[in-house]
Amino acid sequence: MEINEQKTDQCVIIGITGRLDTTNYSLLEKKLMELIDNHQDKILVDCSKMDYVSSSGLRILLMALKKITMQKGKFVLCGLQENIHEIFEISGFTSIFEIHSSPEEALRVF
Amino acid sequence: MVNYIHFTDPNSEEMVRVLEQIPRCPGTCFFMDINRSTDMKYQGGLKDWGRKLNNTFNNLLYSNNFQQHIVKGIGDEMMLFIPDEVLQKKSSNNTCFALLEDIYAALFLIKNHPDQSLFLNCKVAIHYCTEVHNITFFDGADDYYGRDIDLTARLMSKSIENRIVLSEMFYMKVINDLINMGLPVETGCMSRVSERYVENFRGVPVSTAFRVIDVQ
Repeated sequence: MEINEQKTDQCVIIGITGRLDTTNYSLLEKKLMELIDNHQDKILVDCSKMDYVSSSGLRILLMALKKITMQKGKFVLCGLQENIHEIFEISGFTSIFEIHSSPEEALRVF
Repeated sequence: MVNYIHFTDPNSEEMVRVLEQIPRCPGTCFFMDINRSTDMKYQGGLKDWGRKLNNTFNNLLYSNNFQQHIVKGIGDEMMLFIPDEVLQKKSSNNTCFALLEDIYAALFLIKNHPDQSLFLNCKVAIHYCTEVHNITFFDGADDYYGRDIDLTARLMSKSIENRIVLSEMFYMKVINDLINMGLPVETGCMSRVSERYVENFRGVPVSTAFRVIDVQ
């Protein structure tokens, strides 16, 4: 998995490429928690290049959502592939996360 | 591959010969049970508890591709078994540590989901089995029998809502995985593992060591 960080005027975009699972979720956890702890409370996670996510990866996204919501910030996801969207649906994530189809669309909400 | 055992003669020598030749099938066994599912059936109709069972089974199984490892379900409890040879062939998540982390995460997601009306909390027991055989006594079924499967079921008696009970055998497999990967032994949910407990379980002639991890 690769993680890319891009700062825009509206938010920080975190791009995930590859598989997010037990072998690497700690990298995403470290990145997101660092941002949130440094009061970066507007984060967009671009999942368009993420092709697999296990429960361990979902756990980090839920932890980040809870933490940033407590800070009255915004944590948004975009670009879910079909198989990832299905996992999000099964996990009850589609009703708790704000999810957009593309980064361009997601950036408008910040 | 499953060995179907079916001999009409109770004294069959052929049956004894066949049984003696069946190899062991080492692997990881886990039992997962949904909490308070019996109470729930007295409190609501099928549309309520059926929905929650559907959601919970899906959440536990599909996020981690565990559905292919279900051996059987009895009521609201499931038995899963992953033979070593199957686990090792996976391209990733192919360690006992990965199994433990994903099970922990699945329980965490249910416990911490903001909408508590969707899922039901669960309890789990995991054991690394060596005394186990891939056999069935029922035509067309795939099953695993052996004293380590029975021990996994016994370990469930020590689990409660949002708890994973792991046998010392499984715990040591996880520790070995972490050492082999060059990671600290307290990585991930292993930072929450309890001290070692030892108990005698019904029908098991030797004491059994185990630990627990309570989901945060």
